[in-house]
Amino acid sequence: MKKYDTPLLDELEKGPWPSFVTEMKKAGQKNEMANDAVGHLEKCFKTRIGYWKHGGIVGVLGYGGGVIGRYSEIGDEFPGVAHFHTVRLNQPSGFFYTTKALREICDIWDKYGSGLTNMHGSTGDIVLLGTNTAALEPIFAEYSSRGWDLGGSGSDLRTPSCCVGPGRCEWANYDTLDVIYNLTQEYQDELHRPMFAYKFKIKAAGCACDCVASLARADMSIIGTWKGDIQIDQAEVKNYAANGMDINSEIVGMCPTECMSYDGGELKIDNANCKRCMHCITKMTKALQPGAERGATICIGSKAPIVVGSLLSWVVVPFIKLEPPYTELKELIRKIWDWWDDNAKPRERIGEVIEMKGMRSFLEAIGIDPQPQQIKEPRKDPFMFYTDEDIAKFKANEAEEKKTGVYKF
Amino acid sequence: MELTELQDKIFAFVEAAKGKKKLKEKDILKGVSAAEGLEKDEVKKAMRAMIDVGRLMYSYGGGASSVEIPSEEYLREKGLIK
Repeated sequence: MKKYDTPLLDELEKGPWPSFVTEMKKAGQKNEMANDAVGHLEKCFKTRIGYWKHGGIVGVLGYGGGVIGRYSEIGDEFPGVAHFHTVRLNQPSGFFYTTKALREICDIWDKYGSGLTNMHGSTGDIVLLGTNTAALEPIFAEYSSRGWDLGGSGSDLRTPSCCVGPGRCEWANYDTLDVIYNLTQEYQDELHRPMFAYKFKIKAAGCACDCVASLARADMSIIGTWKGDIQIDQAEVKNYAANGMDINSEIVGMCPTECMSYDGGELKIDNANCKRCMHCITKMTKALQPGAERGATICIGSKAPIVVGSLLSWVVVPFIKLEPPYTELKELIRKIWDWWDDNAKPRERIGEVIEMKGMRSFLEAIGIDPQPQQIKEPRKDPFMFYTDEDIAKFKANEAEEKKTGVYKF
Repeated sequence: MELTELQDKIFAFVEAAKGKKKLKEKDILKGVSAAEGLEKDEVKKAMRAMIDVGRLMYSYGGGASSVEIPSEEYLREKGLIK
């Protein structure tokens, strides 16, 4: 196996942190593709040129997603990376694996690919880095025969992902794992066969802590919340104070809407003004719990900058109960896709289309009434629902006022 | 309309756009269903069957996916021709 001199990459192994270079070199000791990837990366750094071509027609028969074609233009010099396709495997909800499952993934990948993985990609998939075109069908056959499937890529529904939810977290306001499993099963067609104008990401977070960062990067963010009052155990509040917590500065003073007060005895919350940010609940885990009626807020439209700048998600449904079989949620998603599909140009995400067409037409199309919680930012009201009839009436009044000279205010 | 006849129409539709426009799945569904007076679902099933056997294929470029007529190289890779 060729030994590459890598002075620039070696710099990235210094310091107390884990280094991807170290891991690549380890893989390179037993795999030619990984070894050539190390040499290739050193050359990229040295020449300050990226030699990768991305895209093309690689994939498995019948699927339009799950494989991202990558080729090097200096494949003659580094034959191990001449083809270096990425394979995305659909991860289990909440990233729960047995060690047996992880070994299975790695054993197959060692057999056909570079052995390099990324656990996990930003979409959530298990990312297998580097294989050649001829190996794609065998890889798919081996993984699918063991119950794995490819994830999404291209203009399709990207692999839905979620936080660990009730599997490990007491703050989950709904079963994120079950929702994502159900949506993944329901939308297999949309996941494997690209039919949209561009990508669509669904991410489910059990609470506003938003451990999957859904608000900033999912076209549809499903964020757990509750109705009613935060449940307070005043005896535990006293324990926190007795154990040295400065409740006024650490909790009350940090409340973004200043809806809490503490007089040294009792903690009070003006729940009508609570924005459910989770700060107090996460700090006083024994004393505070979300309200008893739990569900989720659905936000739409976040994305990274490509066609227009980056966007954060926007509240569309302030509260929805999420219980199996999630019929209401599934119907809503289909309506959203229909509207997006009718209005989007190629490579336009739904957030961009809402920016252009307006939240009003979006809400009308998906059959959701405007509500105060949908406000995007203070002092901006996007919900002017004037019908043709309203406009005709207004014009008639205006004409009448001009004619008579009597103005009604 | 017979399935094979519909699939020929779909193929002709995609072939006509070759080199001019990258067709999304929906473009094909809309175009063929309007031209032939068929339900989109019927066109979709016929098109999917074509993709499953390699008569059409998904392609990807610039972040977006499209449906195209496969190249000989693709068919050879998939073992559909020798």
